[in-house]
Amino acid sequence: MLQEESDLSLIIAQIVQKLKGSNLYSQLERQAWASLQRPEIKLESLKEDIKEFFKISGWEKKLQNAVYSELSVFPLPSHPAAPPEHLKEPLVYMRKAQGSWEKRILKSLNSMCTELSIPLARKRPVGEQKELLNKWNEMGTDEPDLSLFRPVYAPKDFLEVLINLRNPNYENGDSLSFRTHLGLIQVPLKVKDIPELKECFVELGLNIGQLGIDDSTQVPPELFENEHVRIGQKVLAEQDSAAAQQYIRQGSPTALRAELWALILNISSQPEDVLYYEQLKTNVIQHDLLVDSLIYKDVKLTASNDDYYFVFEDYLYQVLLCFSRDTSVLSHFAYNSASPPKSYIRGKLGLEEYAVFYPPNVAPLCFLYHEPSKLYQIFREMYVRFFFRLHSISSHPSGIVSLCLLFETLLQTYLPQLFYHLREIGAQPLRISFKWMVRAFSGYLATDQLLLLWDRILGYNSLEILAVLAAAVFAFRAVNLMEVTSLAAAEAVLADLSTLKKT
Amino acid sequence: MAGKVKWVTDIEKSVLINNFEKRGWVQVTENEDWNFYWMSVQTIRNVFSVETGYRLSDDQIVNHFPNHYELTRKDLMVKNIKRYRKELEKEGSPLAGKDESGKYLYLDFVPVTYMLPADYNLFVEEFRKSPSSTWIMKPCGKAQGKGIFLINKLSQIKKWSRDSKTSSFVSQSNKEAYVISLYINNPLLIGGRKFDLRLYVLVSTYRPLRCYMYKLGFCRFCTVKYTPSTSELDNMFVHLTNVAIQKHGEDYNHIHGGKWTVSNLRLYLESTRGKEVTSKLFDEIHWIIVQSLKAVAVNASPSLTSSTANDRILKYNLINDTLNIAVPNGEIPDCKWNKSPPKEVLGNYEILYDEELAQGDGADRELRSRQGQSLGPRAGRSRDSGRAVLTTWK
Repeated sequence: MLQEESDLSLIIAQIVQKLKGSNLYSQLERQAWASLQRPEIKLESLKEDIKEFFKISGWEKKLQNAVYSELSVFPLPSHPAAPPEHLKEPLVYMRKAQGSWEKRILKSLNSMCTELSIPLARKRPVGEQKELLNKWNEMGTDEPDLSLFRPVYAPKDFLEVLINLRNPNYENGDSLSFRTHLGLIQVPLKVKDIPELKECFVELGLNIGQLGIDDSTQVPPELFENEHVRIGQKVLAEQDSAAAQQYIRQGSPTALRAELWALILNISSQPEDVLYYEQLKTNVIQHDLLVDSLIYKDVKLTASNDDYYFVFEDYLYQVLLCFSRDTSVLSHFAYNSASPPKSYIRGKLGLEEYAVFYPPNVAPLCFLYHEPSKLYQIFREMYVRFFFRLHSISSHPSGIVSLCLLFETLLQTYLPQLFYHLREIGAQPLRISFKWMVRAFSGYLATDQLLLLWDRILGYNSLEILAVLAAAVFAFRAVNLMEVTSLAAAEAVLADLSTLKKT
Repeated sequence: MAGKVKWVTDIEKSVLINNFEKRGWVQVTENEDWNFYWMSVQTIRNVFSVETGYRLSDDQIVNHFPNHYELTRKDLMVKNIKRYRKELEKEGSPLAGKDESGKYLYLDFVPVTYMLPADYNLFVEEFRKSPSSTWIMKPCGKAQGKGIFLINKLSQIKKWSRDSKTSSFVSQSNKEAYVISLYINNPLLIGGRKFDLRLYVLVSTYRPLRCYMYKLGFCRFCTVKYTPSTSELDNMFVHLTNVAIQKHGEDYNHIHGGKWTVSNLRLYLESTRGKEVTSKLFDEIHWIIVQSLKAVAVNASPSLTSSTANDRILKYNLINDTLNIAVPNGEIPDCKWNKSPPKEVLGNYEILYDEELAQGDGADRELRSRQGQSLGPRAGRSRDSGRAVLTTWK
């Protein structure tokens, strides 16, 4: 009991510390001062009256939301004697693996720089700055020569690294038993099995209404949809983060989604946020990074050829270029096993460190937000809460390693024949599903289905659902898959997910 | 029913021919006895021109109504809508109601338009009222964006002035007919780009009016960002969305062809603007379509050329569903049939308007629901049949 209490007070202390530096704190202070003017605030009962005032005016709710937000993100306190690396990633071999992966990426970047004689970063001449500012909204129409740029790594390279992960303290033994894991991932991480998953994802049970199934044309809306929408509106009116998160487990109505996500991620567009975004934009205009060209190339190859997202091509550049310069993102590295590479440009240009990452999934968000600074905020928050885990090596249950393992375990346990068959023909299932999971299915599902999937990521504060979905897809196509005889054919069977209704 | 349906076409497109063949229909020539003739616009004109006096027999169907050009030629369409409105007004129909400034409440869906050179002077009067506005010139009989241009100065259309010194009897007839409309220079933009809607509507009968809307319509985007700036008035890549134009642009993408499905559009609008506004928008689009059809007859050929793989699939399915409705059960047509098809054969079509159903409930319900809160298409649905009917009003 004592341990729990001291854990709790530790958490509280840390959260208070964090919030003290936030904008919300100064706002609350201001509000408190201003409230002294109000007649109902009396000196004798100052504390209670102010508290009451906060409650009525909705400021208490905002504070609750902020605390809730911190709790969702905050890693569990570890042993007080643990070093800070432990917070990032408790397992040494994982940290080491992530470290060497990063080194490899940097090396690749550096050699690209040397080959192409392009600096990692440089300041733009004034003329070029003006030009970029003019075409800020139309970067998609630019056609710079990007043929020499190679992407720093492809998903399959990353997969190879994960496959080769081994825990040096774990000896599997030579004997094969029914427990032997036949998949590619060979690290002993704990993943949930179906009974545990069922318990965790209880709201996805068959007897509970879901958006995406129970609002389809054959079902009269009175049964589920209308009520669900009404509750959603109520949640928004109350501005309650925790309630929103619970609510969205059953899916969000399209019209409410943008606001619900903002509420859950605790994002409100303050003038400071818009200013911050503008500052990042200025940064982009003033300095050119090598990474920019890589981003540009990636967007050109993916989003601009996509049926749904091509319209938003220009937004993607704006968001990603700013993101690569956003130092506040670095604070998430405290709980990310990755480290920002030591900067070569610090000192030279006064720019802080920047991170190298695989350009993550902005495009679907363009369906919800079209104001650039809001779009940016939502994207950044999604990244630092969830998506970064798809690109770094860690033992976290939502990390890509665990997701891969979860996927393989589910498949092997519940569809052993299929698993074995695919393995025999050289089509290890993970090789196919990896690319889905690492992009959170963006680009593989129809947009409305994708958004429903991401609803659940937010609702359960976990990426495990990606692995479950991947396994479900295989289950769904099992009959066809049993008949294929090659990896290529298996890929073909699974190539088009866009017709799947995710739920 | 004995015998297979005999078909003819003068358009060699696989999306058509594959559909006919898969039904086991028999191809014949136009001089033989045929049941179904998919005609090109030229052929329709010839077949139904006054001189030939051709009449269809009871077991023959064609794919266009003879007077289709009443809606496709821009000048005729405008004339028809104006005439329709005046007729309704004369009848005292509440549909023709106007507000205090004289604007039609429910029928204001065509921007101010004039015929040139016929209405030149009227146009000049209107132009002078707001000299900074932009106008769009469209040739009456052309398609695919050909010959369209924007103007903001009278001098740019001097040619069409009736009193121009060069006009004489001879050159009058050389002046091509154009319509000029007030240009809407603040269109809805997505991703900063202008787009239009390509919707497929099938009219199976005129009296009573039965029309169907294909659910899988699409939007066509410009490749270049929209700007109302006058310096870009000549840039057709900014203003015209026709694929025929856009596909010559530098940024045209051959994989998706700059198109979105209408359901995608709906998703986007609902997410960013909310459900009520979106439902109202679609409601009004359907309203415009039905009113235009009522004003006149039917449309000419949509392009059957497929620009992308997805496109081909779409058009194949479109023709498939069209044939299922127009020639139910694949049997030889008989014009004495009651032509209301059962719901199952609709495929991806939804009933846009069925006059027989509507008449059953009395025509003034039409107006009552227009005036009330826009309920969106869902409200019109009946409990057991699912969302078969698009319209809230009847």
